[in-house]
Amino acid sequence: MLDVARLRESFAHVAIHGDELPLFFYSDLFIKHPEVRELFPVSMAAQRSHLVDALVKIVSQVDSVNDLTAFLQGLGRDHRKFGAATEHYDAVGASLLATLEHFSGPDWTPDLAADWKAAYELIGSVMTAAARADEELRPPWWRGTVVACERRAFDVSVLSVRTEPRMDYLPGQSVAIESPSRPKLWRYYSMANAPRHDGLLEFHIRLIDGGAVSMALTSAAIADTELRLGPPAGSLTLSDPVSGRDLLLVAGSTGLAPLKAIVDQVAALQQPPAVQLFFGARTEDGLYDLDSLEKMAAQYPWLTVTPAVSGDSRFAGETGSLPDVVARHGDWSGRDAYLAGPTEMVREGVARLASAGMAQEQIHIEDFGWSEP
Amino acid sequence: MTTAWFDEESRLTPEELQTVTFPMSRLGRRGYEEEPVQGFLRTVHAEFVRLVNERASLWQEVQRLRRRIIAGEAGGNPNEVLFGKDDAHVHAVRILSTAQLTADRYVADAQAYSSRVTEQARLRRDDIMRDAQQHSDMLLEEAHARAREAAVSALNLAPPPQTDRERQAAQAELAYLRTYSDVYRAHLRAYTEGVLRGIEEWERKEAASLQEAAPGNAHRRSIGTDGDAYRRL
Repeated sequence: MLDVARLRESFAHVAIHGDELPLFFYSDLFIKHPEVRELFPVSMAAQRSHLVDALVKIVSQVDSVNDLTAFLQGLGRDHRKFGAATEHYDAVGASLLATLEHFSGPDWTPDLAADWKAAYELIGSVMTAAARADEELRPPWWRGTVVACERRAFDVSVLSVRTEPRMDYLPGQSVAIESPSRPKLWRYYSMANAPRHDGLLEFHIRLIDGGAVSMALTSAAIADTELRLGPPAGSLTLSDPVSGRDLLLVAGSTGLAPLKAIVDQVAALQQPPAVQLFFGARTEDGLYDLDSLEKMAAQYPWLTVTPAVSGDSRFAGETGSLPDVVARHGDWSGRDAYLAGPTEMVREGVARLASAGMAQEQIHIEDFGWSEP
Repeated sequence: MTTAWFDEESRLTPEELQTVTFPMSRLGRRGYEEEPVQGFLRTVHAEFVRLVNERASLWQEVQRLRRRIIAGEAGGNPNEVLFGKDDAHVHAVRILSTAQLTADRYVADAQAYSSRVTEQARLRRDDIMRDAQQHSDMLLEEAHARAREAAVSALNLAPPPQTDRERQAAQAELAYLRTYSDVYRAHLRAYTEGVLRGIEEWERKEAASLQEAAPGNAHRRSIGTDGDAYRRL
């Protein structure tokens, strides 16, 4: 039986060393197993804080088994794309114990060591079991070839990617993408279409200032290159079976991608619900996909598209912040709402809809949970 | 063997620095601005962590030297302790950690630089777009003004210049109209004078015939009254 209180106390004592703790851990691991180094990016700064975050989460949830198990299973599945193999788990366990021992000083006793060993073995077994079960279902990652790359705005590109093998996913989900020019850096992007017969995936990539992966993906040199795509993840999807309520979709900038995939899915339904899509950007040329949306609106009588611009009052259509525009357009409380876009816009949008009387279970946003990049 | 300082329960920890909050001063009272205080706390926290880590490695150094002395006293080889396997590993870990931190810094610098360059490019683009927009607004405004001006002056413009033949024809027409008008006026005057003469003749004859019929005076009065009234009108 694990002494949970003792583990927590021991962790609190070593945690005050801050970044030194993961720094020691990874150096210890790489010296003992140099071959593991190549599974990690050049800069380890983000990696170190991920490790500490995961440890903090595990230690704080160690007595609520269900939550912790789900977290660890996700972590185990997620690590397949990084190339983590079963033998790596032993190496990681040994370095973790060495790190704890190093920073515990005189507090490190054989009993404590045994507790930590048992705790890590439990963690490792849950993760590897989930990874093994996942192996039966899908590859660790998909090979994706960029077959088309179109620059729609000065900072937005639309990529068309063909995967091998074909990937199955729910519209609204996203995948982590690794570009060959930025090895070991994975960033999440949503598919902007429902699964198609030809297996093509559409991605909307916005250039983030200094964003290593977005810079590689929006570069013109991305055409014909091979990307790696992790497994589809995320819960910004239509309920199954469909709720029967009409839909309100609120998309800021490239947050359009998952919502466009949902429109794509609705188009295939026998009885499509009415769909109101708000598409907002700071300036008019940020409405990078409006042509395509207006074509869809002309084709589907159940779809209404309202563009809005927040930073240019001369725009001929709706102007103002997207949550304001949505609120001005009426009472949405009877609909299912899906929001995606900049964090601040989504937070404000959710708050406005909730205060206007929309029930919490009708409001859908992406919750990356364990798979947050 | 030694006392661990971590057991000293009442000691301040870096976490407490990160989570500490102070009550706000009441409205209208003087108080510190929040952000500089938080900034200072962050600095103190970083320094605190550094000191804790330094102390931990010093403690390990003391332990190592102590083991070395004990080994020496027991007749062992102190050098083996100094350069023992465990120590070598910890040294290696430290060297690799330092190298990793250097690499991290290089990557972070490169990323910050690229971020700055993209941001500047974005701002520059916004400037250029704004200038272009203003310029096009100005051009449009100017074009509008010119069009307005042209329309107004077209309205005020004299008739287009005529050829000599056209002018001669117009003058001949004018002369004819003038002559015609003179002749017509002369005719009109003669005719009007003739009518007036006829009226005078008629009035004179009427007055003469009224005086011939003298016995109808009373009757005439009443007619006269009516006549006065009529004339006054």
